[in-house]
Amino acid sequence: MIFDFELIADSIPKMLMGIGLTFQLLFLSAILGLILAVLLLLMRISGKWYLSWPAQVHIYIFRGTPILVQIFIIYYGLPQFEFIRDSIFWPILREPFGCAILALTLNTGAYVSEILRGGVLGVDRGVLEAGAALGLSVRQKFIYLTVPIAARLSLPAYSNDFISLMKATSLASTITLVDMTGIARTIVSQTFAPYEIFISLAIIYMILTWVFQKTFGRIEKYLSRYVKPEGLA
Amino acid sequence: MTNIAPAASPETLIQMKSVNKYFGNFQALKNINLEVKKGEKIVVCGPSGSGKSTMIRCINRLEEHTDGHIIIDGNELTDKVKDINAIRREVGMVFQSFNLFPHMTILKNLMLAQRLVRKTSKAEARETAMHFLERVKIPEQADKYPVQLSGGQQQRVAIARALCMKPEIILFDEPTSALDPEMINEVLEVMTDLAKEGMTMVCVTHEMGFARSVADRVIFMDAGEIVEEAEPEDFFLNPQNERTQKFLSQILTH
Amino acid sequence: MEAVTGWWDDYFWGSVIVLQVFVCSLILMVLFGLIGAAAKLSNNRFAQKLAAGYTVAFRGTPEILVILLLYFGSAITLTAIAQVFDPEVKFVDLSPFWSGTLAIGLIVGSYATETFRGAFLGVKPGSIEAARALGMSNFQTFVYVRIPEMWRLALPSFGNHMLSLIKDTALISIIGLNETLFVAKQAIGTTGKPFTMYIVVGCVYLGFSTVITLTVMWLEKYGNKHMESAR
Ligand SMILES: Nc1ncnc2c1ncn2[C@@H]1O[C@H](COP(=O)(O)OP(=O)(O)O)[C@@H](O)[C@H]1O
Ligand SMILES: [Mg+2]
Repeated sequence: MIFDFELIADSIPKMLMGIGLTFQLLFLSAILGLILAVLLLLMRISGKWYLSWPAQVHIYIFRGTPILVQIFIIYYGLPQFEFIRDSIFWPILREPFGCAILALTLNTGAYVSEILRGGVLGVDRGVLEAGAALGLSVRQKFIYLTVPIAARLSLPAYSNDFISLMKATSLASTITLVDMTGIARTIVSQTFAPYEIFISLAIIYMILTWVFQKTFGRIEKYLSRYVKPEGLA
Repeated sequence: MTNIAPAASPETLIQMKSVNKYFGNFQALKNINLEVKKGEKIVVCGPSGSGKSTMIRCINRLEEHTDGHIIIDGNELTDKVKDINAIRREVGMVFQSFNLFPHMTILKNLMLAQRLVRKTSKAEARETAMHFLERVKIPEQADKYPVQLSGGQQQRVAIARALCMKPEIILFDEPTSALDPEMINEVLEVMTDLAKEGMTMVCVTHEMGFARSVADRVIFMDAGEIVEEAEPEDFFLNPQNERTQKFLSQILTH
Repeated sequence: MEAVTGWWDDYFWGSVIVLQVFVCSLILMVLFGLIGAAAKLSNNRFAQKLAAGYTVAFRGTPEILVILLLYFGSAITLTAIAQVFDPEVKFVDLSPFWSGTLAIGLIVGSYATETFRGAFLGVKPGSIEAARALGMSNFQTFVYVRIPEMWRLALPSFGNHMLSLIKDTALISIIGLNETLFVAKQAIGTTGKPFTMYIVVGCVYLGFSTVITLTVMWLEKYGNKHMESAR
């Protein structure tokens, strides 16, 4: 196989023009997804069925179906209804960008919520009892003990989900958005050089994955300073 | 606060009357009656599973008793107790597994509840924390994290953490059973000092030397019941109940 | 919902295709996972590097890119090869079914590599030694101790991998595999009811996911029971 290096050199800058959109999709839905995840988690552990039920249904549906189907339902499906077209959300739902953010947020929120729940369940019961024995209220125990400990426990799984989310942003190209993958698909349809283009793009994504993994690794190491015994007394 | 039980004498800090505790169908505590006066040191012993932990956990309501009355410093523990945390801050507890807050430095471990529950100022909380760290002889570890300390040091921190709340009573649940033998003494020393200063203590332990030198009374539990209650000399030299005799022969010979 | 009438059999056959892709990619996934794990655990430096490259590449690339690459890439390669033998040939491709199946098998296989490797290393040396002490042969130890223990350790992640496979099947519709999402697209073309048609697809996938989840839960329970009675 002969690689057309000139084409690669030409195409990489073109594809990188889409990285801004990739990042917008990634960071916006990551932040909104995290907020949603916390809300879903609080609903689940509230102990009230009318809160925990909807949260569980949301998680079940969004983890049980392909993200591509979710994107299509939101982008192509929702406009089927007139009340949606008349609603105040229409300016967002009309745009592929808004739909992509919505779909990615709802999807990652469901996954991250489960990750956080794992973290909360992983908090040592004895530590919480010690808090209670000192007179901390339920809310104080949650804020000062559960949250920081659970956050650290959740971080490795969260970093994996963040990478998955980054990969999922590439699906925005299926609803006309021109992120990196969208640009690559256009170039391939013009040049019919899938190896050169797709492999170059794959490498760009791998580099991003590597950077994010390193970053999360750093954060994890910092947060774990109290886990690894160093200089044991 | 309604107080159904007859008032105890003013210096009674803990009063348990006909307390029963069920886990589902299983009865973990059977008709427990116990009175602890201010300044008294009680040692509780008994075989594993006899309900020792359950009993002292009921005293600060980490477990809820099923029926009977528990009165702490004049306040009865019921569902209606509005501010259980107000009672809990008067009752310190030290656990077998230390249960320090892993994500905080030693100093922060000692300051957290002072700040949140007692609403002490930061400076004062720090001062109190350092004072008690000195009392348990590890002020130099203040800025370390719990995992960086040995088990014995962690348990001493846990005791200091309880003391920072200036409690009326401290409950100990087998504070030395998770420790390597060479660390047991450093913890017992701290506890002995505390006893000498007049702290009211209820202590689940099988350290018989400690019981002899410190306890005012020793309580023996078996199968959820208080089987025998006596002064240490009588308890060890002249146990009345057959089950106590059997238990003592087991732990003293090995 | 009336709009769906007349499309049920298309959805049915689409679901059959989902199932076929699932089964084939599952076999590939296990295969790639075992090979990858074996390579990572081997003493051969080259094999280790290769396996490391495999997992890094497939875990760091969006699934859709792998699918597109395999489909369009195989098309040029196969066409070029075919033209060597017969210059008249215009276009040869690996079918969407097989390029898609291969792609998701490779992707999820890269995750399975770690799962199998972890499960192999997770077996406690104690149980192996105990088995040897009882006089079991190497082979017996492997079959009666190591495999069941590995299976138990790998099962939860393995369940997640199966869920990934079934959901990734939907991506293959992008290269024209006529599974349910593809069916929905056609149905929308004639009925103009996108929401209804895509919801049906969602339900199909939710059904498959549920069956997989329940099966894994059942297996886990069975596995643990087996463990308890063995104690
Ligand atoms: N949360 C619980 N649920 C059910 N049973 C419990 C629980 N906690 C303790 N028990 C049971 O109550 C009995 C007494 O336990 P415990 O008080 O921990 O004994 P000890 O501290 O004397 O070893 C044991 O049989 C134990 O299994
Ligand atoms: Mg106990």
